[in-house]
Amino acid sequence: MGSGSSDLDLATIRDDWVGVEFDWATFEMKTEDMIEWAEACGEDDARFIDPAHPDFQAHPGYTTHCMSGRVLPEGFPQIGSGFGIDGGKSVEVHLPIRSGDTLNATTTIADVFDKTGRSGTMIFIVQRMEFRNEQDDLVSTVDWKMIKKA
Amino acid sequence: MSDALSFEDIELGDELAVVHPDVSMANVKKFCGAAKHSFERFIDHDAARAEGFPGAIVPGIMSQGLLASMIHRWAPGCTIKSIDTVFRGSLLVDSQITMTGAVTDTDESERRIELDLTILAEDGRTGVIGTATVEFPV
Repeated sequence: MGSGSSDLDLATIRDDWVGVEFDWATFEMKTEDMIEWAEACGEDDARFIDPAHPDFQAHPGYTTHCMSGRVLPEGFPQIGSGFGIDGGKSVEVHLPIRSGDTLNATTTIADVFDKTGRSGTMIFIVQRMEFRNEQDDLVSTVDWKMIKKA
Repeated sequence: MSDALSFEDIELGDELAVVHPDVSMANVKKFCGAAKHSFERFIDHDAARAEGFPGAIVPGIMSQGLLASMIHRWAPGCTIKSIDTVFRGSLLVDSQITMTGAVTDTDESERRIELDLTILAEDGRTGVIGTATVEFPV
């Protein structure tokens, strides 16, 4: 678990930053955008493309486009080089997202770790956004892995 | 829904039908409009080349959505509980990409299955790998 070019200890960074909330945002779920998203993804299930369907809802990964206002918390240590690359997204669907929902999103640092492979050591910073509807029900969790070269 | 794939029909190792989704510029622009993604590297080949890409690239979150639709088409009425994708390489707009999937685990008590997912670029490179957990209705 080396920290590559950074002199900082990733274990210490994890202790200091994992779980820290650093951004809060609100997103409106609009019917037209939900349908366009699903159709562009090749969806033909009426639950996702027909607003008249009794179970009409957003496509499973719809919240992945809702971006936090900040990528990292203010004061987060400079680790790795460059801005980082998008390593992928993981989505958990807890409840359907309905047209007209207003989602409140909270962003935290979920993990910081490194991996060493053929191309050297890479640092992974996992940003987590949790989305809750007006009833405060957790509807979606999105983890975004940012990868930086150590 | 009577002809829908049921949990009882599924066996470990089953493969989803291969899909070549529409990643034409027109469709990617439609997706970017819905996603409020205004980055030119997704919707302009020249702009993407100026950034060092061979051409405009398919947004990573769109590739995840394409995989979700493949799952819904394979098992109508199912519910995707989670989907995790790792972006390994760029997928080009206006190319032919290939999506595959296979069942890697089943859980009878929860009526859930695990899928391995892959998207290959036209030249055979792996663009996206992923997994999904899918639940079937009773």
